[in-house]
Amino acid sequence: MNKNPIFSTFVLLLLIIVGVVLRASIYTLDQAEQAVIVQLGAPVGDPVTKPGLHFKLPFIQEVRRFDKRVISWDGDPNQIPTRGEQFISVDTTARWRISDPLIFMQRVQNERGATMRLNDILDSVVRDKISATDLVEIVRSKDWKISEADLARVQLSGEDDEEILLQEVKTGRQELVKSIYTQAASQMPEMGIELIDIRIKRIDYVEAVEQRVFDRMIAERQRIAEQFRSEGEGRAAEIDGDTRRELSEIQSEANRQAEIIRGQADAEASSIYSQAFGAAPEFYAFLRTLESYPKTVQDTSTLILGTDSEYFRYLRDVSVQKTMDQ
Amino acid sequence: MPRNPLDDVDWDAVKRYKKLVLIVPLFILIAVGALTSYYIVQPEEEAVIKRFGLVVAQKEPGLHFKLPFGIDTAQMVPTARVLKQEFGFRTQGIDGRTSYRKDSMHRDESLMLTGDLKVIDVEWVVQYRVSNPDKFLHQVRDPEQTLRDVSESVMRRIVGNSLGSDVLTEKRVQVANLSRAELQKAMEYFDLGIQISTIELQDVTPPEPVKPAFNEVNQAEQERERFINEAEKRRNQVIPRAEGEARQVIAEAQGYAAKRVNAAKGEADRFTAVYEAYLDAPDVTRQRMYLEMIDKVLPQAGRIFIMDENQTAPLPLLNLGDSPVTVPANR
Repeated sequence: MNKNPIFSTFVLLLLIIVGVVLRASIYTLDQAEQAVIVQLGAPVGDPVTKPGLHFKLPFIQEVRRFDKRVISWDGDPNQIPTRGEQFISVDTTARWRISDPLIFMQRVQNERGATMRLNDILDSVVRDKISATDLVEIVRSKDWKISEADLARVQLSGEDDEEILLQEVKTGRQELVKSIYTQAASQMPEMGIELIDIRIKRIDYVEAVEQRVFDRMIAERQRIAEQFRSEGEGRAAEIDGDTRRELSEIQSEANRQAEIIRGQADAEASSIYSQAFGAAPEFYAFLRTLESYPKTVQDTSTLILGTDSEYFRYLRDVSVQKTMDQ
Repeated sequence: MPRNPLDDVDWDAVKRYKKLVLIVPLFILIAVGALTSYYIVQPEEEAVIKRFGLVVAQKEPGLHFKLPFGIDTAQMVPTARVLKQEFGFRTQGIDGRTSYRKDSMHRDESLMLTGDLKVIDVEWVVQYRVSNPDKFLHQVRDPEQTLRDVSESVMRRIVGNSLGSDVLTEKRVQVANLSRAELQKAMEYFDLGIQISTIELQDVTPPEPVKPAFNEVNQAEQERERFINEAEKRRNQVIPRAEGEARQVIAEAQGYAAKRVNAAKGEADRFTAVYEAYLDAPDVTRQRMYLEMIDKVLPQAGRIFIMDENQTAPLPLLNLGDSPVTVPANR
């Protein structure tokens, strides 16, 4: 074992130098990364996209790393008028990826630069497309349809804007988004970017319009409420009317039946009487008259009788045998 | 003479501690190597193993070994756990009682336009699971944000293609199912390694300023029922009684009929009986009946005047009243 301190120091230094050189010529690339090798400012070779352990020339080559994954872009909500002059607030979101890190590096340098360019491009495309489209086309999709039954049901619940409901959808939201995507995506390759997806995240009415829509909804609800109330009153009145009609029917029917029963009874009685009395009309008259006197003569009555009446005959003369026998 | 700095070194001490100087770093090296050469995957997790950044394996729960010193790295992803994202509200308090928070930021998440161009407030929850940890980690930089953005977009498309009144009521389930399918499709498009378990609609309500008007409709609907019920009640109070009364009227008429017919029959029978008796001896019977009548009538009468044909003034038979009575003298 050499104990010369100079030699030991030299070995140590050599080891350190080897280590540093080795460290500078080896680099690892994560699964989520890709890189461009830059030699004294100029890119060298194809971009490195395979993750793992890689080598490069030490010191004169440096590694510029870029994300290989899909990156989110979130636009600020924009107030855009639709073709129908309705102002809406549109919030879009997009996904993009660095498809060519070399071009990406040359054109926009880094993600910050890319985001700024994307802001410009996507905002303008979205603005163009939205302002050339009717609100219904933005909100609804192509398969929007409203059946007769739906319409009837909805109108029953008080929707008044039949015109809006029946408005046909020619393109619809999906087609609109697709055309935004197509137009925006065509501008991406020159930046080394691939646009994966762009979506309308939110559509809202701007505040002033929103208030008007709320007012309209409130008015609509109040109208429905009124309709319910008057329906209730109407039904109640109808039931009351029915009740009264039924009442009259029941009472008059009962009276009718009662009259019929009475009439039949009277008729029967009458026929019984006439049968019995018809057999002896003269005797009936006699009997009936006799029966009627006690009823008609009362203590307020004054009777004036002639002495020649049947009853007083014997008052004057007892021997009336002759007369009677005559 | 310049001093050699090495002269100051206590070479004896170096010799003395030489062994120690070598052993300590070696020991540290071994310790670090040992500590970085294994990893434990929890039951709900899966591990993604990367060698110099390159994905080489995915491991199940348990104890596993790897190359030390950061050559291999292990990233744990909770694949078995059902994860949740809330839209329009946030649950507070993980355990025990939960409360829901909703402020204007969350309201922006949940307010959306319906197909009839109204505004509706839809809150929902997306439950999902990481199905492929490698893709989840390396395909998209912020998978959770991507899921949020896409979910908001999908929900708005579906609701925008439905009638507001339907979303509030019968189409809730349909909206949830449609958006689940569409969200899953988008997840596959992004190759996110996420499996959507369910989308559940929570509170679906009209926007805050419109709510009182909606409640008014509910009240009015109940009022309508009340009106109708009250009318039915009035009806039920009246009709059965009237029916009873009708039966009473008829029964009374029937009673009258029975009485009338019976009376007639009785009278007729009596007449017939009397007549038959009368036929046995007509003259005497007639006389007798007449006198019997007189018996009854005369005591009843107030005054009786008996007039003689030949006399001009009435001849009072019984007590004469105060007032003079004028009776025509002659007939």
